[in-house]
Amino acid sequence: MTTRFKHGDKVRVLLTHPPGHRRTPHYIRGKIGIVEVACGAFANPEELAYGFDGLPLKEVYKIRFAQTDVWPEYRGPDHDTVDIDIFEHWLAPA
Amino acid sequence: MADEPYEMERLPDPHDHPAPDDTSPPSHFELMTLAMKELLTEQGTLSNDEIRAQLEVIDSWKPARGAAMVARAWTDPEFRARLLDDASKAVREFGIDPGGIKLVCVENTESVQNVIVCTLCSCYPRAILGLPPDWYKSKAYRSRVVIEPREVLREFGTEIPEDMTVAVHDSLATLRYLVLPVRPPGTEGWSEDQLAEIVTRDTMVGVTNPKVPADG
Amino acid sequence: MRGPHDIGGEAAGPVDTSAKAPEPWHKLITALSGVLGNGLHNIICTDETRRTREALDQETYDAGYFERHTQSLADLLVEKGLLDSEALTQRMAEIEKRINKEGR
Repeated sequence: MTTRFKHGDKVRVLLTHPPGHRRTPHYIRGKIGIVEVACGAFANPEELAYGFDGLPLKEVYKIRFAQTDVWPEYRGPDHDTVDIDIFEHWLAPA
Repeated sequence: MADEPYEMERLPDPHDHPAPDDTSPPSHFELMTLAMKELLTEQGTLSNDEIRAQLEVIDSWKPARGAAMVARAWTDPEFRARLLDDASKAVREFGIDPGGIKLVCVENTESVQNVIVCTLCSCYPRAILGLPPDWYKSKAYRSRVVIEPREVLREFGTEIPEDMTVAVHDSLATLRYLVLPVRPPGTEGWSEDQLAEIVTRDTMVGVTNPKVPADG
Repeated sequence: MRGPHDIGGEAAGPVDTSAKAPEPWHKLITALSGVLGNGLHNIICTDETRRTREALDQETYDAGYFERHTQSLADLLVEKGLLDSEALTQRMAEIEKRINKEGR
């Protein structure tokens, strides 16, 4: 089964602030990272939170970000990273 | 989880010891919890037997499970490969049902220190590490470990050299992470049980690394 | 709007790495959530409890992990018509009297 993104793809997390239950933290919205791996398809928590069935399943991607890209004042070395598991609908090609 | 062998001896954990005769006045939320339990059981929404059974399930969740897996991975390269490839599947070799989550194992190496957090709530691989410690659920950990991991690790007594990478994992979906620490030198020839003893819960979250006790 | 939970990157003091003695009701609230959801009764799900937790006011959220889990579960059950909020308040008062008189 092919997924929309694959390992190595550059992606941008959408910069949007919709109301309601979201699992994409503010600190990563709008940031650019690289797809580490496709983690499988899961029911959408944004829908499950309101009693819906969360279908169709959506792919979750583990996205790797350079800390220095996420935090303007990051004090650690350039090679430090933060990985976040993000649903596909929050990602766009970068 | 129903098939899991009953452990006669458990590693001591501060969370095992109930508070001694507690005469302090009940907090608002303690009262709320007790009231919910009473009302829900009276209504027949759930039963006391179900609660008791669930309490036993919770008690079966402990870091000794994760430690046993790490010790196996340290001594059995093929198991290590299976654990890193599909941890959800690998835990079943220990008779553990991971439940509805996908378990992922990330390995520490000489160049990478992994650290796990859930900034939005406190997601944690409870079935194999037990209930999370207070610090993991604290706002200070959740807010700071993503932005200043090295400083937070220092507060646990862990110093990661600048030439190593600190890789933070924010587990916000249905995946849960287990860190496979580096096997420390000085443990050559140790049995799995001996190895498991130095694999503490904190080493499997990534805030500390296993230590060989000074007295060997 | 950023809820009380979306705190990654915010400034905070040192992490308190000590372990505190648990209170029995902590495990009880964990058990109640488990029995109501997750493959048992399935009348609630984790995502719903997260949603009601995120809707808590800052003070309740900051009261503590088990505190916010208790309030958010109660809120969800009331929302679903599985718990009556007045009955809850009344029972809490009765239990308080009982404990103050007879102990836990």
